[in-house]
This record gives sequence, C-alpha cells and structure tokens, in this order.
Amino acid sequence: MSTNVQDIHEDHHHTPSGLMRWITTTNHKDIGSLYLWFSLLMFFVGGFMALIIRAELFEPGLQLVVPGFFNQMTTMHALIMIFGAVMPAFVGLANWQIPIMIGAPDMALPRLNNWSFWILPFAFTMLLSTLFFDSGGPAAGWTLYPPLSLQGGNSMPFVILSIHLLGISSILGAINVIATILNMRAPGMTLMKMPIFIWTWLITAFLLIAAMPVLAGAITMLLTDRFFGTSFFTASGGGDPVMFQHIFWFFGHPEVYILILPAFGIVSTIIPAFSRKKLFGYDSMVYATASIALLSFIVWAHHMFTVGMPLAGEIFFMLTTMLIAVPTGIKVFNWVATMWRGSMTFETPMLFALAFIILFTIGGFSGLMLAMTPADFQYHDTYFVVAHFHYVLVPGAVFAIIAAVYYWLPKWTGKMYSESLGKLHFWLTTIFVNLTFFPMHFVGLAGMPRRIPDYPVQFADFNAIASVGAFGFGLSQLLFIYILYNTLKRDVTAEDKVWDGAEGLEWTLSSPPPYHSFEKAPRVE
Amino acid sequence: MSNYKKTYVTLSSIVVFMFFFSYMLVPLYDIFCEITGLNGKTNQERIVDLNEKPTNRFVTIKFTSTVAGAGPFDFEPLEREMVVEVGKVYTTSYILTNQSNSLKQVTASPSVVPGAEAEYFKKIECFCFTQQEINGLETKELPLQFIIDDKLSSDTNTLILSYTMFNTTDQLGAK
Repeated sequence: MSTNVQDIHEDHHHTPSGLMRWITTTNHKDIGSLYLWFSLLMFFVGGFMALIIRAELFEPGLQLVVPGFFNQMTTMHALIMIFGAVMPAFVGLANWQIPIMIGAPDMALPRLNNWSFWILPFAFTMLLSTLFFDSGGPAAGWTLYPPLSLQGGNSMPFVILSIHLLGISSILGAINVIATILNMRAPGMTLMKMPIFIWTWLITAFLLIAAMPVLAGAITMLLTDRFFGTSFFTASGGGDPVMFQHIFWFFGHPEVYILILPAFGIVSTIIPAFSRKKLFGYDSMVYATASIALLSFIVWAHHMFTVGMPLAGEIFFMLTTMLIAVPTGIKVFNWVATMWRGSMTFETPMLFALAFIILFTIGGFSGLMLAMTPADFQYHDTYFVVAHFHYVLVPGAVFAIIAAVYYWLPKWTGKMYSESLGKLHFWLTTIFVNLTFFPMHFVGLAGMPRRIPDYPVQFADFNAIASVGAFGFGLSQLLFIYILYNTLKRDVTAEDKVWDGAEGLEWTLSSPPPYHSFEKAPRVE
Repeated sequence: MSNYKKTYVTLSSIVVFMFFFSYMLVPLYDIFCEITGLNGKTNQERIVDLNEKPTNRFVTIKFTSTVAGAGPFDFEPLEREMVVEVGKVYTTSYILTNQSNSLKQVTASPSVVPGAEAEYFKKIECFCFTQQEINGLETKELPLQFIIDDKLSSDTNTLILSYTMFNTTDQLGAK
C-alpha cells in the first residue's frame, strides 16, 4: 500500500522487504493497515459463521448442522466479531489516524505496537483451532456463564488463553494510545482543541485498561475453578454462578462502549465535513462521551435482571441505564444540529454516517425498552435482544468503521475510490442489514428465544426474511473487497485535502502521508 | 522523557489494580450479600447464643431438594412442609441414600426463597456446614435444627428452604 512512500525514505530506512517488513514493522501506518486487513479477514470468518446460523434458521426444523455445532457457531461468531473484527478495526483506525491527526511522527511505543498486533493472529489461530477438536469449540455462549462453560469440552482452556492474549493485546494498544495522545500532541493542541475522534479514542482507551483486566480476572477464576479446585463459581464448594455474571458484566458493559465510542468519534468527524459546518456542541460532545464512559461502570446488572435480584437492585440498574440515554441523546441532537442548514453533500462516507445516526438510534431505543426491568422480563434472552445489539453493532459500529475507511482511504492510499461503487455498496448494505435484523424485533417480541437451532413454525416467515437479508448482507461485503482492490489498482490520484469540507491536520499532509507522518510538529492555533 | 514514564507507570498500575479488583469483587460481593441478605444466601454461621422468643406467629416452611448433576444419590426431605412458630427452635432432617457401591463425599448447599428474608432463617445445626462421607448403599439421616428470627417481615408467610447435594468425591481422592 505504501511501498512507494518507503522508497522515498530509503536513504535513512533500511527496512526489510516482503513478509519480514510486515512482521518487523514498527511504523504506525503499517501496523494500522495490518490491524485493518486482519479485522476485515475476521469480519468474513465471523460473517461466514453467521451465515451458517442463518442458513440453519431459514426454516423450522434441523437441516444443516447439529445443535451442538450450532451453539459453537453462535459462541464463536460473537467472540470473533467482538474481539477479532470490531475491536482490531478501531485499533487500526487509531494507529493510522492518531499520529496524523495530532501532528506526531508515530505512536509513542512503536515496538509494543508491533507486538500488540502480532499477538492477534496467534490468539485467533488458537481460538479457531478448537473447532477441530473432537469435543468441538466453545458452545456456552461468548459470555462463558458457569456452570455450563465449566462443563464444556477440552476447548475451554484454549478459549480462555486466547481471550487472555486478546486482552493483553487490547491493553497494550490502549496504553499506547493514551501515551501518544497525552504526550505527543502538536504544540498548541490543547485537550479541548483535539479532534473529536481523538477524544473518543482517549476515553475508549481508559475504558479498555479499566475493563479488560476484569475480564482477565473473571476467566482466570473460571480456569482455576475447572482445573485447580477453587470454588469461585462452583456451588458444590460454596461458590456462586451468579457472581460470575456480576463480574463478567462489570467488564461487559464498559466493553459495549469500547465498541461504540470510537464510532461516535468517526461520525462526529464525518458529519461536519460533509455538512461544511463545524461540529455543533464540541464541548458537550466531549462531556457526553466521558459521562457515558463513567456511567458504563454502574449499569452492569441490566444484563441480568432475571437472575433474581432484589427490587432495590433492579430499580437502581434500571434508572442508571436509562440515564445513559441523556448523554447519548445529546450526541444525536448535536449530529442533527450540525447538519441543520449545512451545505450537505452525500458521498459514501456521509451516507454511512447518516445511516449510522438513524439505525444506531433505533438500536438505542430498543435498548431503552430492554432497560425497563418489567419489560425486560419478557424480552430477556429473546430475539428482541439479538435485534437490539445487532442494530447497535452492525449499522452502529460496523457502519462507522466502513464510513471511516471510505473517508480516509484516499488519504491512506493516495488513490480515490469509485464513488458509484461506494454508493452501490452503501445501498445494498443498508437495505440488507435492515432486512436481516428488523424482523428479529418481531419474532423476539413474539417470544422466540435466542441461541436455538430450531423454532416453532409461527416464527418461520420472519426468520426466512432475516436469512435472505443475512446472505444479501454478506455477499454485498464482497463488493467492499472489490472496491478496496479497485481503489489500489485505479489510476485516480487523491488530492491532499480529499474532502473540501474536512478539517484537521491529516489533510495538510500529502496523500499518502510520508513514512514518518509529521517529522516537524505543526503549530496549532 | 519522565512525562512518558509517568504515563506508563500510571497506566500499568491501573491495569494491575483492576485485575486484582476483579478478585476483590468476590469478597465484596459476598459481604454485600451478607449485609443485605440478598441473593438467597443463608447464614452460613452456626447460631450459638440461642434465645427462644415464641411470638405466636406461624409461618409455613417448605423443604425441597435437588441432586446436582447425575450423582448416584437419593436425597429427600423427611417432611416436605412444616408450620412453625416464629422464634421457636424446630428440628427436622433430610434423608440421603448412596445408591452406588462405593464411598462418596458430598456437600449440600442451601438456598432460601424469598432471598430478601434469607438472613432470618437461622440454622443451629445443619449438615450443610461440613463435608459428609457416606458409604456405598448406606442411608443417612441428616439433621437440621433451625429458628425463624422474629425480624421476619410481616408480609412473609411462606419460606422455602432448598438444598442441592453435590458429589465432591473427586476432592476426597485429592486429599
């Protein structure tokens, strides 16, 4: 991608070529690209599993896979999409964008950066290898609730070790991000002058270093319960399985915001650029992001309203959860206010960002419904929950990542993608994503449980629609691969300032940017 | 350079702290449940200073039992239901039969419904306090002595005590 850039700097860089270049690289752009390509690969691996799930659910009855394998698919699909696709994609964007947005030459810890990426292929090889075990892969759901997860086959220690590796990778990445943002900003760039994407990533990184160690602790307890005779969660030794859920979701809810805050940052960058106005309410955006992050640590039990909590607990977690709608509402208001009377144009990144606002808000509303304890007793573990979190993660996080790729791809490669193909990709993706996930609301409200390979016939029609949508969505993403390939092969060079309404230091660099992004720190007024 | 170092040290210590914090959550959660009596956790402490204060208020106690997993046991309460006076000591028992031919070690874990009232179900003598050993094909009577505290909320007129019997013979071999 940036081989020509490297040539220019040959005089003082003797980097290995070929495969060794990628293995030994400490350059933030190389590592960013590695992260992004890796997450794209994982997106397809996890997507393939989703298609197995949807193919089985196309009609009632058991057709394609045995129930045990179906459970492995739901578990693996979630683990891979969360830890393999969305999180590495955001880290990749952070690697590419943070130095060029804050006027730094590279990330603060380049070698650590290399290591935190190269942990990932090993972790996922180990995780995926469990599918070839005689006893199969993990099948207790990505949340690994005991006692079921303790009763699984031989895959369990492998899964736990690979999650440990993924956690280490994310923590190192987060430390790198914070160290870079706090210490390497261009002179004059005070905290409240930072681009909003940088702010959201800074807050996300703090969430990562606070939440990931808790996951590490929880799964270590599972491991010692299974193999070393401890009884954190085994009731026979006086442990309590519900405690795992408390500890897990103490990590799990901040994790949800780890998956969405950088997306907020991306949308807050793209909307102003194509509205040709400054972001409305920059300060309130920063404070809203920070308060969402803080609130995320005190709402965890809304994932487990039905475990038999006392009324006081249910009310507390219901109200704090609903409180999150306030800062989130501020954000949506600010995005809309940014567009208000702007000179809007609708290039591909803007289309994805607009779809994000609408569809993410739908996911937010179903989240509010789930936050109401009495309603949640009805919705818990139904397809309504599946519809909710897919609406916030697919047309939420994934759309934001795709928007970011279209927005910055010309900057990264120096080539312009095909706008008409980009728009086609957008429309196919948006239509099919709704076809897939919207019917799930209906079957969920009608009582269809999640994580089952078979269902009563009354749910058949909506499930068939969802399966058609899922295959359409999956196939549309092949077009995305083609667009990326086509962009790199095309002969349409991008200008340095690709979008006339865009602001920020990255647009003052050449497209593609030089090997050491800012050799001389720019001054920010 | 010291600025960088400060950042790394601070961030790494947050990571280390949060890892141990996840372990601290275990006792914190237990303490929280003990104070509030949430989660149906019964008093695992044996009551020593016993003062009977009969109150002429009667509640129903239901006894249930479960065998965890596929343990080779028959485990049933002697009485399925008792009407007891609040503030008075009662004795009942559970009957455990080992249907296998070999020595087994078992542990029973109690739970009380409704959870918020669990702390007022006080056990004076309970087989749940200790690990039990039972010979092959042996039948044992496991005694239980309890008192219902007069602080029991006036809305409550039924309490359910449930025991789950776990086969912990693996731990016997480990010793």
